[in-house]
Parts: sequence; C-alpha cells; structure tokens
Amino acid sequence: MSDHPQSFWSKYIFSFDHKVIGIQYIVTGFVMAGIGALLSILIRLQIAWPGQPIEFLGKLFPEGMPGGYMMPEFYIALVTMHGTIMVFFFISYVLVSGFGNFLIPLQIGARDMAFPLLNMLSYWVGLVSALVMLGAFFVEGGAAASGWTAYPPLSALESAVPGSGMGQTLWLLSMALFIVSFTMGGLNYVATIFSMRAPGMSMMRMPLTVWSYFVAAILGLLAFPALTAGAVMLLFDRHLGTSFFLPAGLVVGGELVQAGGGSPLLWQHLFWFLGHPEVYVLLLPALGIAFDVLPAFTRKPVFGYRLSVYALIATGALGMIVWGHHMFVSGMSPFSGEYFSIATMLITIPMAIIGVNFLASLWGGRVIFKTPMLFALGVVAFFGTGGLGGLFLGNATADIQLHETYFVVGHFHFMIGGVTLMGTFTAIYFWFPKMFGRYMSEGLGRAHFWFTVAPFYTLFLGQHFLGLQGLTRRYYAWDSYQYVADALPTNVLLSVAAFVLVSGQVLFLGNFVWSIFRGRVAERNPWQATTLEWTTASPAPHGNFGEHIPVVHRWPYEYGIDAGGEDFADQSVAPDRAPVTA
Amino acid sequence: MQAAVTATVTGSALGVGSELRNFQLRLGMWVFLGTVTMLFAAFSSAFMVRSAGTDWHAMPLPRILWWNTGLIMLSSVVLDYGRRCANQSRWGSAAAAVGGAGLLGLLFLLGQLDAWRQLAQAGISVPTGPFAASFYMMTGLHALHLMAALALLGWGAWRLWRGALDDEVAVRGVASLCATFWHFLGGLWLYLFAMMLLL
Repeated sequence: MSDHPQSFWSKYIFSFDHKVIGIQYIVTGFVMAGIGALLSILIRLQIAWPGQPIEFLGKLFPEGMPGGYMMPEFYIALVTMHGTIMVFFFISYVLVSGFGNFLIPLQIGARDMAFPLLNMLSYWVGLVSALVMLGAFFVEGGAAASGWTAYPPLSALESAVPGSGMGQTLWLLSMALFIVSFTMGGLNYVATIFSMRAPGMSMMRMPLTVWSYFVAAILGLLAFPALTAGAVMLLFDRHLGTSFFLPAGLVVGGELVQAGGGSPLLWQHLFWFLGHPEVYVLLLPALGIAFDVLPAFTRKPVFGYRLSVYALIATGALGMIVWGHHMFVSGMSPFSGEYFSIATMLITIPMAIIGVNFLASLWGGRVIFKTPMLFALGVVAFFGTGGLGGLFLGNATADIQLHETYFVVGHFHFMIGGVTLMGTFTAIYFWFPKMFGRYMSEGLGRAHFWFTVAPFYTLFLGQHFLGLQGLTRRYYAWDSYQYVADALPTNVLLSVAAFVLVSGQVLFLGNFVWSIFRGRVAERNPWQATTLEWTTASPAPHGNFGEHIPVVHRWPYEYGIDAGGEDFADQSVAPDRAPVTA
Repeated sequence: MQAAVTATVTGSALGVGSELRNFQLRLGMWVFLGTVTMLFAAFSSAFMVRSAGTDWHAMPLPRILWWNTGLIMLSSVVLDYGRRCANQSRWGSAAAAVGGAGLLGLLFLLGQLDAWRQLAQAGISVPTGPFAASFYMMTGLHALHLMAALALLGWGAWRLWRGALDDEVAVRGVASLCATFWHFLGGLWLYLFAMMLLL
C-alpha cells in the first residue's frame, strides 16, 4: 500500500479506504434514522390522540399542523418520508452499504475494494441523494405524500396534494441518485468478492456474511434499474405531459385530467420489481451477520453451512420473481395471483432452512450472553415472528382480506424493520472493537437491547392484531369510524411503546459516542472469533493486513476444537497447528 | 490526491497486477452492463405494455436512423480493429482506430439529434403520444450512455497513444474495455431500433 493517506481530508473525508467509507455510511445512516424516528413520533402522536392539538408542534410546523392540529396531507407526507428514509437511507446505508464496505475486504482478506475511487463516489452520491430527499421538507408544498411506493396518479399529478409538487420531484430524483450510488457500491461488492479473495479463500470458505452481501448485491444490481426506468417515466409524466402511468378519463377535484391511456399498474410492477428484492437486499445481510455472530457466542460451528449458502442463493433467486404478491388486490388475473402465491410460498423453503440452521446452530451450544449475542438472538426471534406473518400475506386468499391493514404494517416492520434493526445492532456491537479499537459498554448495551426488543414486540405484534380487527393503513384519524372505536386504547398503548422504543435508542447513541473515546481498549480478537478480520489489529490499519495478506487454510467456523488450549482456530491457522474440520 | 486516484484506478494501490486488474475491470464492466440491460428491459416492458393501449399510434421513424445504424456498426468494426492492433502492440494504429471509432460515434449522436429535429419539425414532440414519448426517452437515454462510452474511448485512445510508455498488459485491457462497452451499446441500439420498427 504505497499511497498511505496523509491529510485529514484524504484520510477521513474523501477517503478511498473501505473502512472509512463504511463508517461514513454508518454515521450518515444513523443520522437519517434519527430523522425517521422523529417522524414516527409525530405519526404515533396523531394515531393515539387524533384531533387533539399539540401547540408547540403547531408553531414548529405552521402549515402541516396549524394550531397544533395535524393536517391529513401532512400526516401522509410524514408516513411517506418515514418509510422512505428508514428503508433506503437508514437500513440500506448502515447494514448494506456501511457494514458491507467495512466487512467484505476484511473478511475475504483483501486490502480494499476492487474500485476504491468508485467506492468513494458511491458514498458521496449517496449523501447527495439523502440531502435531496431531506430537502423535500423545505420546498413549497412540503415533502412527497404518495407513500413510500409513490403510486400514481397521486405521484404523477403535480396538483394532486401539496406534496405532489416539488416534494415528489425531489423524491424521484433522490431515488434515482440512490440507485446510481447503490450500483457503484454493488458493482464493487461483486468485483471484490470475485477477484480479491486471499489465497485459499475459496467461495465455499467465505463467511456467510460475505455470501449474504454477494447475493444482496447481485439482487440489487438486477432489480433496482427497474425503478430508475419507472422514475424517468414518472418524471416525464409529471413534467413533459406524457401519460405512461396516467389513465384516460381520470377526474381529479372535479376536473378531467388531460391524459392518454396510461397504466398506474405499470408503475406498480416496476416499483415492486425493485421493492420486493429490496426486502432481501436488506434482510439477507442481517441473516448472514447472525450466522457469523452466533458461533462466536455458542463456541460451536454453524449448522449446515453449505445448505445455508444454497438457501441464501435460492432466496435471492426466488425473491426476483415474486413481486406480484404486493399487488393481489390490483385486479390481476387469478392465474397470475396463483403463480405469485405459489412462488412466494416456495421462498418459505430456503427461509425455513435458514431458520432451522439458526436453531440448530444454537442447539447444545454454551451460550454466552454478551450484547452482540443478544441482538443476534433478536435476529432469530424476529425472523421467526415476522416470517409467520409472511405466510398469510404471501397467499392471495388471505392477503386480499389483510391488504392495506395494519397487519401488513406490523409484518414489514418485523422483517425489513426488525430483523434488519437487530442485524444492524448485532453488527455494531460485534465489530465496534474492530472499527474503533474499543469495546462498547456491556451494561448500556444490554439495557439498549431490552428497551428495543420489548417495545418493538409490543408495537408491531400489536399492529398485527389491529390489522386483523380491520384497521386500515394511511388513515390519519379513526375517531369517527365506529367499527374500530375499540382500537383507540390499543393505539395509545402502541404509541407509548413507540416512544419507549425511540427513547431507548438514546442509550445506544450515548454508548456509541462515549465508547469511541472512552470505551475499554479492545484486543485484536476480543470475541475469540475465527474470520480473517480478527487476525489483524484493532482498529484495522490502512491496507488491513500489514505486509502480508493472510493465507486461508480452513472454513470460517472452526469452533469447538482442541487447538492447543483454545477452542477455536481462525481461518489463517495452518493445519499443522489445529485440526481442520471442514 | 491525484497520485492516489491514479494508483486506485490502475490497481497499484491494491497490490494487484495488470492481469488481475484487467479481469477486475472487465468484470466490473459486465456487471455494469447487466444493470444497463435491466434498465432497458424495464423500458422495453413499458413500451410493450403501452403499445397495447388504445392511444398507441406507431409513427414513421426518420430515415436517418438507418444511416445512424450503419455508422454505429461501422464504428464497432473500426474499434475492434483497434483492439486487435493493441494486441499486436501497434499502438499508433490502435489509438487512431479507437479515436476514429469515437468520431463515428459522435456522428451517430449528431444523426440522432437530427432525427429529433426532423420529428420536431413534423410536429411530433414528447407529449404527442406514448410512442413518441418512448422514442425520445429511449434514444435520449441511449445517447447518454453513449456519451459516457465516448469519454471512455477518449481516455482509451490517449492510453493507447502512449502505449509503449505504459504497462502494455494494462493498455491492452483498456482497449478491450472500450470495445466491450461500445459493442454493447451498438447491440443495444440495434435492439431498440428493431423494437421501435416492429411494435
């Protein structure tokens, strides 16, 4: 590594180093999460106490909440931006881009990504994308208000609601930039994993975390361009007078919209061609991370490594062909519905394999309940709970009843909100020593775990039941609907859970910042783990591995062996120093 | 900073040799082309879905598009000659061929612009109908990709021109990279043109 970075700017700001870029993504993602969480507080205030004024919020948002009363269009804008920010700018940035960047070269024994310049550009384009999205709050009419799915005609007509103006345009531009950024990052992941593995690191010796990023990157690269195409067409509809998505005979506000025979369903297909694989782009890394963390705290190998690899690949492949299950109520033919139902049910096979492998990996282990392990167990628990809801929604017969209810909200919060959140915190607590050379506080970490898991379950499991009761999504107030009158007290409870959940994250924030500067100094391999990143110093130096790249001699889960007084051997330990089991 | 950029682009900062770097660049290019394929597959789907609409009226395409098609195919032939010259270390011929292919590509772009001008003069603009909108959109996005490829060709011609002074394996890799991108965009145009003629 001849070009060791020197200046502050090249080392910390415009850095080519994958670890710095990873941390930049993680910090950016957490800032976005903070904003998304604040939006959720406003949403939950309105849901629990509709029609009750909150004066100081009225002063803060004079147009959205005049006199402290929330306007319906402001509510839907909050929901739109909360979903968009959390899915694309929190979980994607922290879990996929952040930890993907940080971990892939370290775990495969590479000095950096294959294209470091492209990697840096990916972050900066991503940051611009996030800023453009946030900028939508400050333009006339406010942020986009067509849901995170941006369904037309609401998103296609500038005059539909206030947020359909410049706010929606910025939403589309931001998403296009996000996809450009992801493409640069995903391309790097694939090229790096294919071409920069250390000697001896065959594909079947890669940690499951790397496998999950590999599958996620391919999924994203193939699925995301569909939304780019959709975004371009929607911008044409909005600003150039075309009608890709605007149907003929559309009447808005009593006036006939001059448009041709476009198809709003075309947008839905393009959106969900991205949207459903996006679920797996976010979910798979969380699963891969759990697979890597569980054995370090059970001191035994993961169960079914090969089968898990094949299950990750199968999940990715099937994830590309099931987008239509989000559209069962769109009037699609029953034959299409049947196909999408069956294809979705097929995904439960590889998913169940992963779930069983998790449980079998725990079975008989000597579990050490450190904070990363608690969150890894959280991944397993949330994956099981959320997955059960998916069985209902993947089936057209049940979905038609449950569509647009809080059952769906509860389900997707468990999967792309919960599993991924647990995966994110697992990764943070586990690899924090490798990032900063210090431990995070165990006490605060455990408190953070319980202040996250308990309110999360209360809130989102509760939403499943509200959905079964018939409570529909996106309504800003139900107080005038008799059929769900008894849901209001439940909603108060769920809102309190949401406030506890958000407040609990202050524990994490404090722990994170405090530990960077004051945490206990960590050694090279604090968890006695086996993958390559633990063979180098903490924090990992520029170039990752000193003068020589490690040579790999074994699979990544060599636990529970007798290796000269230790019960593990990292991947670089030669066969004559410890038995090779796989 | 500039040295660091150069080192990361050539791969020397990563401790990878020229052969491996060529493989990485080729791999990266193919992955990128995979995403471009998916992008235009999405546009094609939309084109086909909209073609079933009652407001769909296919319009006669300007004749210059045939000439443009010939130009881009010719440019591919010239570029491939350049790639073969690079393999034989004939750097001057290789640079001239890549530069020449770029000029033909530029002519193609001007021809596409003229097709737009002809349509506009005939009163056919973006909002005229879904066919016209798709035509402008797809040719425009194809042109944007082609501009990026032209920048790559310019850089490639420069590297080839000073080929003997540089790492020969790496320079051959650049020629191959230019050819891959350019041939793909040529093929993409043939596909788009055929689709617009047939639907």
